[in-house]
Amino acid sequence: MIILLRFAGLGLALVVALLFAVFVGDQGPWYFAWAVGTVMIILVAAAGAVLFDAQDGRDTSQEEF
Amino acid sequence: MDLINPAVVDLSRFQFALTALYHFMFVPLTLGLTFMLAAMETVYVVTGRQVYKDMALFWGKLFGINFALGVATGLTMEFEFGTNWSMYSRFFGDMFGTPLAIEGLMAFFMESTFVGLMFFGWDRLSKPAHLAITYLVALGSNLSALWILVANASMNVPHGAHFDPETLRMTFDSFVGVVFNPDAQAKFVHTSVAGYVAASMFVMGISAFYLLRREHRAFAARSFRMAALFGIFSTVAVITLGDVLGRLDYEHQPTKIAAIEGLWHTSKPPYEPWIVAALPNDAKQESSFEIGVPFVLTPLITHSFDTPITGMIELEDAAAPRIASGITAISALRRYEESHLGADLEVFHAHQNDMGYGLLATRHAPNQDVTAIAPEQLQSVIEQTKPDILPNVFVTFWSFRIMVFLGVFFFVLFAMASYLSLKNQLERNRLFLKLCMWSIPLPVLATEFGWITAEGGRQPWTVFERLPTFMSASTHSMSYMLFSLAGFTMLYSIFIAVELYLMFKFARLGPEAHHQHDDGADPAHLSVVAH
Repeated sequence: MIILLRFAGLGLALVVALLFAVFVGDQGPWYFAWAVGTVMIILVAAAGAVLFDAQDGRDTSQEEF
Repeated sequence: MDLINPAVVDLSRFQFALTALYHFMFVPLTLGLTFMLAAMETVYVVTGRQVYKDMALFWGKLFGINFALGVATGLTMEFEFGTNWSMYSRFFGDMFGTPLAIEGLMAFFMESTFVGLMFFGWDRLSKPAHLAITYLVALGSNLSALWILVANASMNVPHGAHFDPETLRMTFDSFVGVVFNPDAQAKFVHTSVAGYVAASMFVMGISAFYLLRREHRAFAARSFRMAALFGIFSTVAVITLGDVLGRLDYEHQPTKIAAIEGLWHTSKPPYEPWIVAALPNDAKQESSFEIGVPFVLTPLITHSFDTPITGMIELEDAAAPRIASGITAISALRRYEESHLGADLEVFHAHQNDMGYGLLATRHAPNQDVTAIAPEQLQSVIEQTKPDILPNVFVTFWSFRIMVFLGVFFFVLFAMASYLSLKNQLERNRLFLKLCMWSIPLPVLATEFGWITAEGGRQPWTVFERLPTFMSASTHSMSYMLFSLAGFTMLYSIFIAVELYLMFKFARLGPEAHHQHDDGADPAHLSVVAH
C-alpha cells in the first residue's frame, strides 16, 4: 500500500511538473528556462563535487602503488 | 514659486539610488548562496560525506550574516516609496503595490520561516527534510526578488494596466499581464543568475584564500570546484539574458538603448561599430575619442545585419509631435475634470498614449502649467522639452560598459577556474588563486552598475512614457531631505561595516567544525602538489 501511495505521489508530481512546463513554458519561457537552468547548474556543481571525490580516490589508490 | 523643486527631486533620487545600491550589495549573495547551499547539501545527502555538511554549515553561516543585514537594508526602501515618492505611489500604486505586497509576504513569511528551520533544524529534521527546507529557502529568496523585479519591469514596460481619467491613476488590468511581462521575465532571470555569479565568486575567492594559506584544504578544494562550475554556467546565463534585455530595450525603450550605445545619430548598418570606449558629451550631444569594433552593433542589438538603430537626435525629433499631442491630452483631461463633457474625454482618449510627454513639458510651461501655454509659445516649449527625453548618456554608456567588461572577465576567470580545478592544478597557480580572492567584490560591483544602467537609462521617467521622474517626488523641504539622507547614509554605512567585519572575522576563522569531522583529510592530489 505504501509503495502504491508513493507511486501515486510521484505520478502526481510528474503531472504537476508537466502542467508547469506546458503553462510556464508557453506563457513565460524565461521563467521556465530559469527553473530548468537553475536545477541544471546545481546538478553540474554537485556532479563536479562527486567527480572531485572520485579523482581524490583515484589519486590515493595510485599513490599506494 | 515653482511647484516642483528640482533640488528636492534630485535629493529624492539620490537618496533612493543610495539606499537601493546599498541594499543591493547584500541581495546578490543571498540569491546565489542559497542555491549553492542547496547544491552542497544535495551532495551531502546523496554521498553522506561529512565534509559537504561542513560546507553547507560554514557557507550557511556567512549567508546568515548577509541575509540579516540584507533584510534590514531592504525594509526602509519600501517605506521610501510612500515618504519620498508619494506622487508616484498615487499614480502607480495599484500596479506597484500588488507585487510589492506579495514580495513582503514571500520575504517575511515563507523565506524567514524556512531560514529559521534551515539554521536550527539540522539536528531536528531528517536529512531529506532539511534538504527540502534548504531548497525552499533558495526558492523563497529568489521568488522575493521575482516580485520586486515584476514591479520594476512594470515601470519600464507598463503591461497589464491603463490610465483611468476618472481617478487619474494607472489601473490594474491583468495580473497575468504584469507577471508574465517579457521585461519582468528577462530581468528576473538576469538578476537572479547575476546573484549566482556573485555567490560563486564569493565561495571561490574565500576557498582560494584557504588554499593559498594551505588551510582547510579538503574543504576549500571541494568548495572551489563547486563554485567554479556553478559560476561558469551562471555567467553564460547572465550574458544570454543580458542580450535578451538589450533586445527588449531596443523594442520598448529606444532612448535607453541609444544612450547605452552612445548612438547620437541613426546607425548605418551593417558597418556601424560597437563603441568600446568614448567620452559622450551630453551638453554638446556628441562623443569624442571613440574606439569601436566595426560590423558588431547592428547584429548585437537587432539580431539582423540590415536594420538601422535610431539615434538620440532622431529620437528627439520624433518626440516633438508626441510632446504636442501630450499637451493636448493634458489640456483635455483638465477640461474633462471640470466639465465632465464627453467631447473632452474623446480628445483625451485620442491623445492619451502621449500623455507622459505632455507631463514632461510641464517644466517648461508658464507657471508649470501646460494648459497655460499660448499657441505662439508651443513650439518653444516643445523645443525645450525635446532634449529632456534622453537619459544621462555618459552615466548610462559607462555603467553599461563596466558591467559588460566585468561580465567578460568573470567568464574567463570561471572558465580557467573550472579547468584548473578539474585538472587538479589549483595550488600550482598561486597567482590565479590570488586573482580569485581579489575578485570577490567584482560581481556585486557589476550588479550595481547593471542597476545604474537600467534605472539611469529609463530616465526621465519613473513609469516609462507615462510619468516623469520630476513629477513623482513628494513635496518635502530641503532640510527634511538632507536630514534623512544623512541619516540613511550613516545607518547603511554602519550596516556595511558590520557586514564586512563579520564576514572577514568568520572567513578568517574558517570552518572550525571541519577539523572535528573531516572524513577525508587533505585530498590526495593536493597533498602530492603540496609536498
